[in-house]
Amino acid sequence: MHLLALGLYGLTTALALAPFAGARSAPRALMLGTPMAGAAFHVAALVQLSLVGLAPALSMLALFLVLLQVVSERVLRAQAVALFTAPLATGLVGLALLIGFGPGAEPSAGRNAWFVMHVTLSVLGLALLALAFVSSALYLLQFRELKAKRFGQMFRLFPPLERLDRLNQIALAAGFPALTLGVLLAIGYAVRFAGGLHVDKAQVVWGMFTWLVLGWAVWLRHVRHWMGRRAAVASIAGFTAVLLVYLALKLTQPVAGRFL
Amino acid sequence: MSITVLGVNHLTAPLEVRERFAHAPHEIPQALHRVLHAGASGGVLLSTCNRTEFYLAEAGAAAPEEVWRILSERLGDGRPARDYGFVHRDREAVRHLYRVSAGLDSMILGEAQIQGQVRDAWELSRAQAGPVLHRLFQTALLVGSRVRSETVLGAGNASAPSAAVAVAEKIFGDLTDRAALILGAGDVAELAATCLAAEGVGVTLVASRTYERARTIAERMGAKAMTLDEAWAQFEHADIVLCSTAAPHAVVTWERVAPAIARRQGRPLCILDLAVPRDVEPAVGQLENVFLYHLDDLQTVAQQAAVARREEIPKAERIVDQEVEHFWAWFHGLGMVPAIKEFRSRVDAVRAVELQRAMRRLGHLSDADRAQIEQFSYALMNKFLHHPTVALKKAAEEGRGFGLLEALKTLFGLGSRA
Repeated sequence: MHLLALGLYGLTTALALAPFAGARSAPRALMLGTPMAGAAFHVAALVQLSLVGLAPALSMLALFLVLLQVVSERVLRAQAVALFTAPLATGLVGLALLIGFGPGAEPSAGRNAWFVMHVTLSVLGLALLALAFVSSALYLLQFRELKAKRFGQMFRLFPPLERLDRLNQIALAAGFPALTLGVLLAIGYAVRFAGGLHVDKAQVVWGMFTWLVLGWAVWLRHVRHWMGRRAAVASIAGFTAVLLVYLALKLTQPVAGRFL
Repeated sequence: MSITVLGVNHLTAPLEVRERFAHAPHEIPQALHRVLHAGASGGVLLSTCNRTEFYLAEAGAAAPEEVWRILSERLGDGRPARDYGFVHRDREAVRHLYRVSAGLDSMILGEAQIQGQVRDAWELSRAQAGPVLHRLFQTALLVGSRVRSETVLGAGNASAPSAAVAVAEKIFGDLTDRAALILGAGDVAELAATCLAAEGVGVTLVASRTYERARTIAERMGAKAMTLDEAWAQFEHADIVLCSTAAPHAVVTWERVAPAIARRQGRPLCILDLAVPRDVEPAVGQLENVFLYHLDDLQTVAQQAAVARREEIPKAERIVDQEVEHFWAWFHGLGMVPAIKEFRSRVDAVRAVELQRAMRRLGHLSDADRAQIEQFSYALMNKFLHHPTVALKKAAEEGRGFGLLEALKTLFGLGSRA
């Protein structure tokens, strides 16, 4: 199932990149249908798995990215989002398959709902932060093209600036409560079922750091009323920081935590 | 007998050069006066934001030189205007004007505005045009109409204002309920206001010298009007600013608008400068979140929108070719008719002299016989002249008359000007 999803995500990537290689743009139905078919196989694969470990987390992140891509295309006609999300999802599923979906330390059945909700909401929050990054990257690229008066493929295929800005705003606004709930569920799960916060420090540090970054980005947009280019730069900086902190923790504490 | 077109256009010169060559309507008679004084028998000046083209009839060497002198003076920095220019002669000159009028030579393929500009140029140059250029411009307008009615070259949104709308949509997406300031109250401004209003944009027309016209247009469209002095503060609130004034220098300067733009909190501002000379100082485009586009910048956008129009080019070119041939036949016929007339009258004169001489020697003939001989002389002359006359007319119709005409003049010593 994962392999089928991988193939369809790969095809979506090819369809998204085709216009930049001189080919004609794929019909909208195909651009929606291909990732949706991939997501269907992906869901079928994920429900058979425990969500413990790095591979399922990466796989779920890929699934959310693809679903968010489809929603962005449906609601905001932001087809260019697939330029980033499709290869990212393909890479994540490929990486998950390389790591392998081996049996993890599965929580007991009573704790499962808490755990699944925690993982789902946290990964959704992370996927929305990634979507904010993607929309920001597209924004800055389109901004550069418009400012430089280049009216090539990017100008033609990328969504309007304000639509990308709105996508960034929505992604951050939805991502923050999702991640907050994910973090709260993690704390509740730890207190109720694990006898306190005994998880590895690296996991807590990264989780809290990601939450703070997302909160900071939301604060900039909604309290400081940042928008447009400044907000895009902030989103990219935040996402990059989250990624760098993850890599730093991974390098310094290679055996830490369940998914780190 | 010749037709020449020379000048600069968007294919040969960049905007910052073209704008220096642009002639205001009141400057056109003076420029044409100089060209006619240099030897041309007729002249029309077509000066738009994209082209400054002198159409000359029967211009010797001095008249084109005078045109380059006029243009170089406007360039003003010692560079010769000829470096940016082009010259077409005779049939190619006719083809050029027909292509211009049809919108085939326009920056935005198939745009309809050019036809009005060709008509205006003809009207403004009426006193100096002369019969050949009158006919040329009259037919050019008919060619433009024919191309637009028989092809879809004019279909879709590929005018400068509609390209401007397309660019604005790449910044804002949906333009509904956006606010636009339109500086100027001319035809382009009115067209732009109409395009934007059709997209649901709240339009405010801004003009000072032509404020009354701006107010009239605004009232007709249900829009607002204000003066330039009132407009600068509006740069804080507007989403789109479209400039199309006839001002000879930049009116939207950094000093005037930077304070208002600084208060926008990062909201993008799209400034579309369709004026020649430009209305907006380049420094304004350097401001954060300001997207400034000039006419040249819209070319690519419009060309993308004109893919369907491009498919009509061969059909439109065929119409132009046909019409060029018709004009050329008429044009050469112009020289041929008097030449044939003179040729016939010369031969007739010879016939009459020789007939008289023969009659003197044949005094014994009766009146009936004399009449018979005179009739014979006419018949002989007509028989001899029939084939050359037909051949000359046919050659003229086919555009090959010039060489034959010259040969005729040389062989028979004809003195009339062709």
